[in-house]
Amino acid sequence: MSRVLIGGVGNVLLGDDGIGPYIVRLLESLYRFEDNVELTDLGTPALDLTHRIVGLHSLILVDSVASDDAAGTVVVYPKEVILQRTPAQRLDPHSPALSECLMAAEMLGAGPQNVLLVGVVGESYEPGGPLSEPVRHSVQRAIEAVLRELERLGFTYEKRLVPDEPRIWWSDDLPADSRAVFN
Amino acid sequence: MAKRITIDPITRIEGHLRIDVEVDNNAVSNAWASCTMWRGIEKILQGRDPRDAWLFTQRFCGVCTTVHAMASVRSVEDALKLEVPLNAQYIRNLILIAHALHDHIVHFYQLSALDWVDVLQIPKADPAATSKLAESISPWTKNSRNELKAAQDRVNAIAGSGQLGIFANGYWGHPAMRLSPDVNLLAFSHYVQALEYQRKALQVVGILGSKTPHIQNLNVGGVANAIDLDSQSALGMEKLEMIRGLLAEVAQFVQQVYFVDVCAVAAMYPEWFKIGSGLRNYLAVPDLPLDSRGSSYDLPGGYIRDADLAGVKGFQTASDPIFRQSITEDVMHAYYQGERPLHPWVGETDPAFTGWNGDEKYSWVKAPRFNNEPMQVGPLAQVLIGYAQGHPLTRKYTDLAIDKIAAIGGVRATPAALHSTLGRHAARAIRACMLAELAQKHLQLLVDNIAKGDYTVRNQPVLPTHEVQGVGTHEAPRGTLSHWVVIKDEKIKNYQAVVPSTWNASPRDRAGAHGPYEASLLHTPLARPEEPLEVLRTVHSFDPCMACACHAFDPWGRKIGVAKVL
Repeated sequence: MSRVLIGGVGNVLLGDDGIGPYIVRLLESLYRFEDNVELTDLGTPALDLTHRIVGLHSLILVDSVASDDAAGTVVVYPKEVILQRTPAQRLDPHSPALSECLMAAEMLGAGPQNVLLVGVVGESYEPGGPLSEPVRHSVQRAIEAVLRELERLGFTYEKRLVPDEPRIWWSDDLPADSRAVFN
Repeated sequence: MAKRITIDPITRIEGHLRIDVEVDNNAVSNAWASCTMWRGIEKILQGRDPRDAWLFTQRFCGVCTTVHAMASVRSVEDALKLEVPLNAQYIRNLILIAHALHDHIVHFYQLSALDWVDVLQIPKADPAATSKLAESISPWTKNSRNELKAAQDRVNAIAGSGQLGIFANGYWGHPAMRLSPDVNLLAFSHYVQALEYQRKALQVVGILGSKTPHIQNLNVGGVANAIDLDSQSALGMEKLEMIRGLLAEVAQFVQQVYFVDVCAVAAMYPEWFKIGSGLRNYLAVPDLPLDSRGSSYDLPGGYIRDADLAGVKGFQTASDPIFRQSITEDVMHAYYQGERPLHPWVGETDPAFTGWNGDEKYSWVKAPRFNNEPMQVGPLAQVLIGYAQGHPLTRKYTDLAIDKIAAIGGVRATPAALHSTLGRHAARAIRACMLAELAQKHLQLLVDNIAKGDYTVRNQPVLPTHEVQGVGTHEAPRGTLSHWVVIKDEKIKNYQAVVPSTWNASPRDRAGAHGPYEASLLHTPLARPEEPLEVLRTVHSFDPCMACACHAFDPWGRKIGVAKVL
């Protein structure tokens, strides 16, 4: 069965770094997805991402990215771009390792056919900090980017008539605010 | 004239451990370990409900999530003097064991193996001869010629494409790489298989903890698992049998593959039993409690000073008074404010960044000290402390390792040879074998206790209004982890986590004493200083985890190529 994983990547304790898990939890609360679409808050995975992506049909990740673009810019990276990155000598097994994990899955002949990283350019990574204004304003664009990819891949979803309470337990002020974006 | 080499992954990959070494006559003459990112996560916890702290601490690190959750609930339970029901102890122990087995397998195959295994020699291997060699050292059933041929074909495809991809940055052909093509192939085929077994180990965490990577089933005072033997949704016979099957498969991989591979690498690089010793002070806490009060344990703890195994001192409990009283953190060479070493209960985390200066401040990691001395933590500490106290399970697998290495390579190592880079790898494999055996035991303890009709999983915590303090420890895959909490008016007043990699990656202290990474690198010979493979071997042998010790927030470096802007 073809499966797609929508994974939110990032540390929810570090301000804009938490945008990936944040988006995934909003998606869960706002939409109903067909059974073979899995949504997961991946936290900050490292080399152990490999065994999660092996055997998937498609992978959509949402993560904060550092880039020269303005904060809040939504940037998408397709599989071939991610695979262009050469992994370097690694001192620490626990640094983020998307390129390496994807390469390992490819080597096993079990990499996802489609991979899209939806990146949101962050601004502030203060411990305990809220999402910055520009990143907060990117939420709808990031969600649209995920849904667009899902449609392109032929997976279905529907909007919930009454959204579930988003399980964004790490933040005090965000859920109400972000629901306003959609109403 | 000494030459300075900096291995700073920040400039090349997404990492945060930096190593500086001075090289004189092709040997390391001085070393600095530093962390390049600030960690101030503990401050978030101040003012929060102590019963929720574990949800937050679980996010300290993306890989060691479970261990920070566990140390956190234990710290609050210690502060409240709250016992933990037997079922909850066993369920927690099983989660911790499964997590550790997963972690050790990942560490060896995905991080370290390619320090010793030259992938580009694999096309020269003979799969039939490799299979024969494998069958002579292990009963593992997936060492057939066909399995090995398939693994070789994968490497041939990558090597033939000219795009090394995942292997683009190894030190292939380095003079310090010495395995035969056949042994390289064998280890590589297990690197591929390891992915499957690390997943099985995590499945156990997922079944008991509801979710991975972030478990959901913890509570201060116990766990949230509903026990009902006849139910499919609660923890019942069906799930317990599934766990039994998964643990048996993982145990077989650990004992027949991982353990044997480490012994084979050790047998073929015996000089590495003499390299990388460094600091020979060791610290470990008891873990895997066997009763609700935490007065007896399956894994012993204690400390050893300056390799004096006969002088080992044991800890009675996981929050032994000696442990509680003897720890301080020094910031003389770390980017924090503060004049004198502080106990974690009164610890501060106020940054004072100066930029790297090896004579002054140079790391975001504090320097933890036990009785004012740096300590090495991790599997080597666990194994030596257990061995020195005559712990039967530790002795069993340590002696097995020594026999296996002798059988493969004809070299008989002694427990003293374990003070080394190879010793750290051997100790990790020994510990993995011990944990694999203990997993079966704790599952049976759980099943037997439930069969008695005990379904209790939690004791309700009551928060006092007066000030209390506690320490929660866990002997994690990378070593002694301790969370220190001060609670007042039902809120967290102070919180500090002293993580294993803080002990091992510690910078110098005010007395100038090196931390374990630093000390272990001194005198390391380098065949080609411009390709410091030997430095990586020793640093990797500790299984560094800077994501816990600090945190990176630049997951992608700067630009990663052509991108589409929305």
